[in-house]
Amino acid sequence: MASSDIVRYRSPLRRALSVATIVFLVVYLVWTILPLFIMFVSSFKDLLAAFALPEVGDWLNIGIFFDFEPTVKHYVELFTVNNFSDYLINSIIASGGSAVVSVVLGSMAAYALSRAEFRGKKDLFFWIISTRMAPVVAVMVPLYAIFRGVGLVGTLPGLILAYTTFNLPFAIWMLKGFFDNVPYAIEEAAMCDGSTRFQAFRAILPLVAPGVGAFLVLCILFAWNDFLFASIIGSGGAKTLPPATRELVQPQNIQWGKIMAAGVVTTLPMMLLGLVIRRYLVAGLTMGAVRE
Amino acid sequence: MASVTITNVWKYYGKTAAVRDLNLVCEDGEFLCVLGPSGCGKSSTLRMLAGLEHISAGDILFGERRVNDIPPKDRDIAMVFENYALYPHKTVYDNIANSLRLRRLDKSTIDQKVQKAAKMLEIEQLLDRRPGELSGGQKQRTAIGRAIVREPELFLFDEPIAHLDAKLRAHMRVELKLMQRELGTTMIYVTHDQLEALSMADRVAVMHEGVLQQFGPPQDVYYKPANQWVAGFVGEPPMNFLDCEIVEEGDLLSVRHSSFTTALLPEQAAIIRQSGDARAVTLGIRPEEISIDASSSERSFSGNVMLTEPLGGDLLVDVALEDSKVLVKTKPSYRGGRGEPCHLTFDRSRWHLFSKENGVAYF
Repeated sequence: MASSDIVRYRSPLRRALSVATIVFLVVYLVWTILPLFIMFVSSFKDLLAAFALPEVGDWLNIGIFFDFEPTVKHYVELFTVNNFSDYLINSIIASGGSAVVSVVLGSMAAYALSRAEFRGKKDLFFWIISTRMAPVVAVMVPLYAIFRGVGLVGTLPGLILAYTTFNLPFAIWMLKGFFDNVPYAIEEAAMCDGSTRFQAFRAILPLVAPGVGAFLVLCILFAWNDFLFASIIGSGGAKTLPPATRELVQPQNIQWGKIMAAGVVTTLPMMLLGLVIRRYLVAGLTMGAVRE
Repeated sequence: MASVTITNVWKYYGKTAAVRDLNLVCEDGEFLCVLGPSGCGKSSTLRMLAGLEHISAGDILFGERRVNDIPPKDRDIAMVFENYALYPHKTVYDNIANSLRLRRLDKSTIDQKVQKAAKMLEIEQLLDRRPGELSGGQKQRTAIGRAIVREPELFLFDEPIAHLDAKLRAHMRVELKLMQRELGTTMIYVTHDQLEALSMADRVAVMHEGVLQQFGPPQDVYYKPANQWVAGFVGEPPMNFLDCEIVEEGDLLSVRHSSFTTALLPEQAAIIRQSGDARAVTLGIRPEEISIDASSSERSFSGNVMLTEPLGGDLLVDVALEDSKVLVKTKPSYRGGRGEPCHLTFDRSRWHLFSKENGVAYF
């Protein structure tokens, strides 16, 4: 077997490129991590300390940025005064709920589209994804009218439904690709073993688990970070973290400390989720039951 | 146990017919091989038997039961796939136990059956492994184990040993045949390897381009091919074919080729006479039914050695005739070298004549 290493030879151009790569990565890291870092540090600062910044260009005094008494009062106030525990739970239910509903319905639809042949299949498939082509704001007003008509505005089921309308087409498209890669023989073997079609479908689900896992995360991310649906459909009874954070910006008083703390509360769970689910996203089950 | 009856079955994929008007009866407990090159419709036939494909026209009966509209799970069959189709996320044990769990048998019964099958297939030490950690032969055994624990009415094998290496294949042929005799279950086995078909089957069905060419015991398929196609497909090295014509010399009918003229045996002449005025024919004779010698004898004719291929116990000799060539299988004691003259004699009781028009065998 050939080595998978790429053969390289040193040349001035290559050396220059490798230096350029490192410079780019450093700039990129500062660009992405610094805001998060400032948010994290500021959430533990008093309002005064948060604005104690050195003059522009005065790099020697950078130390005063770190010279503060850590306090958790913003976090405590968020959860005691501002009911953030409710909003956190709403966020979890809305994003988790829509992700689960999308995956369950999406995998069944994707399986059907992957395996069955029927007239107009291509058109149906295109129609499914075309529902994602309209910008969210374009459908927001009619969607709001419909939801209000059936009393779903300001409820968690309403919010879950709204996210599902947007996640489901995406789920079907993504999962169909995963099902297409599973050999027919495995479910045929299952059916010969005595499975119904549905049991055969369940038998091959573990083989698309990496896809389902990856997609679950994307669904949760979309719903978790969403502001538009949350503020319009979810307003009132089903307030999630993003609109709740926005409410901390009041005309007479912008509560920076709390906003930073709310930012950490919103960001942290998604970062942890990303770490946990990483193995699904990278690899998956070792295949090998079927001779390729 | 059940017999299988296939009557007037057609299979269409779109407008192409993969199986054309197939009629077959497989007796209860019989080992039937369906033999043919790839794309001959043999796998489609098997998949229709399994219920994985719709039957476009015709009927399939298991015993007295018409199964056309019965889903695979209710047909009481077990199928072994060409590419094994094991569940990659399950251990060998769970792969084998799957069908029993689906039938909701109790744990101890399942365990007993799985252990018994594993013992029979000598895979007891592999039960905790996953398919990814198995070799080809071990996967194959697992797939067979999954089939036999079901104790079905009918086994369907779709080229199960095609991907194993030659040595293991020879070993598995013996084992599969023994297993089928032991279990006594009806078995339909699809293969493109004539050696498998001839060595294992009670009867062989030879298919070509969706049409059943010949159906009979292996000896018949080998020694009495129904047509030129079967004659050429079955047998390794393949049969020699020579364009000849029938000539009448007094009372005798003879076959004339540019390099020889040989009289037909009386019963063969009678068949030819009966069939009317056949003149252009194809003579078919297997390499092992030609004897080769350095010196001439009665009814021998001469040729030139083109090439010799020693195969260990046997020797293949390519002999050039005037405008064609024949392959002869002989023993290594024959010492003729390249370019040397030689003399060939055909075993007339073992040769075949085929119609030039449609390839059908006269005898």
